[in-house]
Amino acid sequence: MTVVVATTAGGFLLVLAIILPVTAILLIMALGGRWLARIVPVALFANLCVSAAVAWLVARTGEPLAYVVGNWQPPLGIALRADGISVAMMVMTAVIICAAAIFAWSEYSQRHDEPEARAPFVFWCLILAIWSALNALYLGADLFNLYVALELVTFAAVPMVCLKGGAATLKAALRYLLFAVLGSMLYLLGTVMIYGAYGSLDISMLAGRVRAEPVAWIAASLMTMGLLAKTALFPLHLWLPPAHAGAPAAGSSVLSALVVKGSFFLVVRIWFDAMPALRDPAAMQILAAMGAMAVLAGSVMALRQQQLKLLIAYSTVAQIGYLFFMFPLVSLAAPQAMWAGQAWTGGWLQLFAHAFAKAGMFMAAGLIADATGRHRIADLGGTAQRMPLTTLTFALAGLSLIGIPPSGGFSAKWMLLVAATQEGQWLWALVMVVGGLIAAGYIFMVIGKMLTDPSAGASFKPVARYREIVAFGLAVAAVFLGLLPLEPLEFLEIGRPVLAVAVLR
Amino acid sequence: MTMDSALLGLAVAMPLALLAALLAVPWLGKQLPVLLALAPVPAVLAAILSTDGTTLSWPGVLAINLALDQPGALLLGASALLWSVAGFCAPALLGERPGKGSFAAWWLLTLSGSMGVFLAADIFSFYLFFTVVSLAAYGLVAHEGHAQAKAAAKVYFAASLLGEAFLLFGLVMLAAAAPSLMIADAVQAIGGSPWRDAAICCLVLGFGLKMGLVPLHFWLPIAHPAAPAPASAVLSGAIIKAGVIGLIRFLPVGDTPLGWGEVLVVIGFVTAFWGVALGITQRNPKAVLAYSSVSQMGLVAAVFGMGIVGAAASMPVAVAYYALHHVLAKGALFLAVGIVAAYGGALRYLLLPVAAIALGFGGLPLTGGALAKYAIKPELGYGWAGLLGSLSAAGSTLLMLHFLRLLAAMPKPATAHRFKTSVMIAWAAIALAAVALPWILFEPVTGLRLADALTMDAWWKAIWPMAIGAALAAAIFWSRLQLPAVPPGDVLHPVGRVLVPSGARLALAIDHLESRTRQWPVAGMLLVLIAVSLAVVMAT
Repeated sequence: MTVVVATTAGGFLLVLAIILPVTAILLIMALGGRWLARIVPVALFANLCVSAAVAWLVARTGEPLAYVVGNWQPPLGIALRADGISVAMMVMTAVIICAAAIFAWSEYSQRHDEPEARAPFVFWCLILAIWSALNALYLGADLFNLYVALELVTFAAVPMVCLKGGAATLKAALRYLLFAVLGSMLYLLGTVMIYGAYGSLDISMLAGRVRAEPVAWIAASLMTMGLLAKTALFPLHLWLPPAHAGAPAAGSSVLSALVVKGSFFLVVRIWFDAMPALRDPAAMQILAAMGAMAVLAGSVMALRQQQLKLLIAYSTVAQIGYLFFMFPLVSLAAPQAMWAGQAWTGGWLQLFAHAFAKAGMFMAAGLIADATGRHRIADLGGTAQRMPLTTLTFALAGLSLIGIPPSGGFSAKWMLLVAATQEGQWLWALVMVVGGLIAAGYIFMVIGKMLTDPSAGASFKPVARYREIVAFGLAVAAVFLGLLPLEPLEFLEIGRPVLAVAVLR
Repeated sequence: MTMDSALLGLAVAMPLALLAALLAVPWLGKQLPVLLALAPVPAVLAAILSTDGTTLSWPGVLAINLALDQPGALLLGASALLWSVAGFCAPALLGERPGKGSFAAWWLLTLSGSMGVFLAADIFSFYLFFTVVSLAAYGLVAHEGHAQAKAAAKVYFAASLLGEAFLLFGLVMLAAAAPSLMIADAVQAIGGSPWRDAAICCLVLGFGLKMGLVPLHFWLPIAHPAAPAPASAVLSGAIIKAGVIGLIRFLPVGDTPLGWGEVLVVIGFVTAFWGVALGITQRNPKAVLAYSSVSQMGLVAAVFGMGIVGAAASMPVAVAYYALHHVLAKGALFLAVGIVAAYGGALRYLLLPVAAIALGFGGLPLTGGALAKYAIKPELGYGWAGLLGSLSAAGSTLLMLHFLRLLAAMPKPATAHRFKTSVMIAWAAIALAAVALPWILFEPVTGLRLADALTMDAWWKAIWPMAIGAALAAAIFWSRLQLPAVPPGDVLHPVGRVLVPSGARLALAIDHLESRTRQWPVAGMLLVLIAVSLAVVMAT
């Protein structure tokens, strides 16, 4: 059976979304780092426009975009496909990468008439590489291409951790690298088994072919574990806190908001698109149980941190946990199916809200560190007086992480909670509520400290206003996601007929 | 949009608009008394002018639906009036300390939420406003900044979050069973839902915590006295009524199972007497008032429960009428404590009206309190519930006499503030309202005849509990009985001594566990283990 995939109108945009950043990197390498200031803004802006155009096309037609490279049909050729969730991820990525770029612009500036410096050159190449690789990850339609994209993301993300140099960050980067490579190996192993058993790696073909049998079970669990290691789902999170806390602020934002979501995205692709036949309820409960442990342990650990960036990193460990409640809650079995749409939208909304809130929060922490040179929560006194906008940024991002209305975090939690209680999955509902309570504890611990008087010897150097505004904008975006209606979003179901049917009650 | 519905929107939006103005134009900080007094004015007007059943739906994506009904209007109007007077007095009573600007910011934010809960017609807006009023009031409790206020604010915050969690759970269950997010639709649909009792239980816990029903009252006597007096006034007067309106909105007569009515009656009476028993052990007049609020809200819960049991359609209005008196009277008493603390010499003008208002809680004839007590008599009935109601009036009398004694004995302030006549006039206004409004509203609201409330029989029923209360107070006073000094928050302290260390131990255990998972061999083992179990569960 051959599945005929045709290139849709505007499908070339998908290719552009991947090769534009790569072209920019090649140009920088060819012309030298002194050209950074001219190439990078053009490339970023152009790719932002591409993402916007893709989103516009998909929203207008309500159909996924596809591109078949060289018109060679899968499984021989490479196909790119943009459905609702990939487009949403693309847009989120575009916005956050551009925000991080503006935020980092002066820190990693390279004037044309100055000698080439190492840090700006590496930083901008990595940012562009991450963007390209993430887009490849969202758009890839076959498991091996996804493996390549996954590796690219890892190899672009790891150096970001040790950009500052120093033994501690180098150690963190090494931990990250080893664990991520281990994850890749497992994923690759699973992919090979799938190919051996079913003779294809194309996701849409696999969906029809993969049956519940030993080879599929083993392959799926290997691939999943590999991806979970990269997503840093508890208890496989050992690399995340030092890595995300050690990177420069703009880098931490991208790592926490986007990079861990990339591998999560693949977990969803595998279980919902490539091998839906394997969606065994008990396996889904295991994923949710890991998520629940992540929520509880991550939140408690965040509460116990003394360094601001480590607190935020542990909060990421916790917030990732919520995403995995999607797996048992989006169920197509008869009684639960009517809540699948709620859970689906709630899960994705949690992903987007966390991305914006966490990016804004890491930037706020970076600004405070730039202004005071201090990193401890105990030294935050006076921040509210001296940096009101940054304090507000932290507070708004915090509202969304806790899930206080109106915010994206609240809407996400609300929809997941409705699905969980209606499907009778009480335990997960309880964990979500308790996680929110602990999150309120650690967020208000920080804000309470910010509101106190400055400690002795604290001095605040001025920081650039525009950087504060960028961070603020991201936090506001997280809050504004809460203005969406509390019902399933059709956009996120574009290209997924099964779910759409389930949602029609 | 009609004038009526515009007022509803303004009631919520005006405080926020003034907050924005205050942040944008620092000069307005000099006009705080006027600013804070004006902020609740649209809400007062809405309560008076807007007709029953006015609604307003926000345009656009953020679906906020407001509606006004009679119980909502009573609570909204009284609360807004108190907010206005307390806001006018606040800058003077806070003295010349810094931080007034941030106090005003928290004040306006809390005010917006406080007005919103009385008007919210859909589940989302209700939760939104409930959250705003609960969490923003943290800033009011913490304002004094000393160690005790900080500790109180922590307790307040933790308790509020707990209440939020209960409420969220309850609302989620309610919403999931409902055809729409409108409260009226949802509460009707809950009857057929398998989660009915779980949902009601969560709602009762959430609202009970806000009202201070035993044993979830622990935060109230800690938080309310810690705040500056104007903030205590709105906390005890207006803010806890979010729980009352919650009960009225979400547990309608007829749709609520009778069993829940009985539960509320029991909890309510326990709370009513608990508040008195613990209140008389307090040495701080504000703590006594806080315990009195606990006791009064207990009575409200009991009346509410009796209404559910007796399927009395008139109950919500009677409860709101009773609560209206509590808003104004308790607000006036807290403000009086603040005025005496600030000016000292003002006591001689205040003692008599304060005594009249305070004893109104015991049912002193001709006061607003007497009418409020009379209005809930039909709901309580004339059996054992009616008797318990009368006995709680005896308790309130005792408690209020204790309060008056402490107020009269308050030390003169070390540094007297500059006496402001305007503050005294504002106080007189709220004190007058506490007496006059129940008189004016009695017949139109309760549907009872005023003449019946003024018969010898009614007077007798009001006076004998007071006599018991006064006799008890005299007995305690003359016998020089030393009551044990129970710290405010009573049950919190023994429970906290168990919970706090065990919580710390749990956190430490999680910490140890987590640091183990961050070791390579352990993480590797776990990875293999989970991979195997994933494959195995799929196979079985």
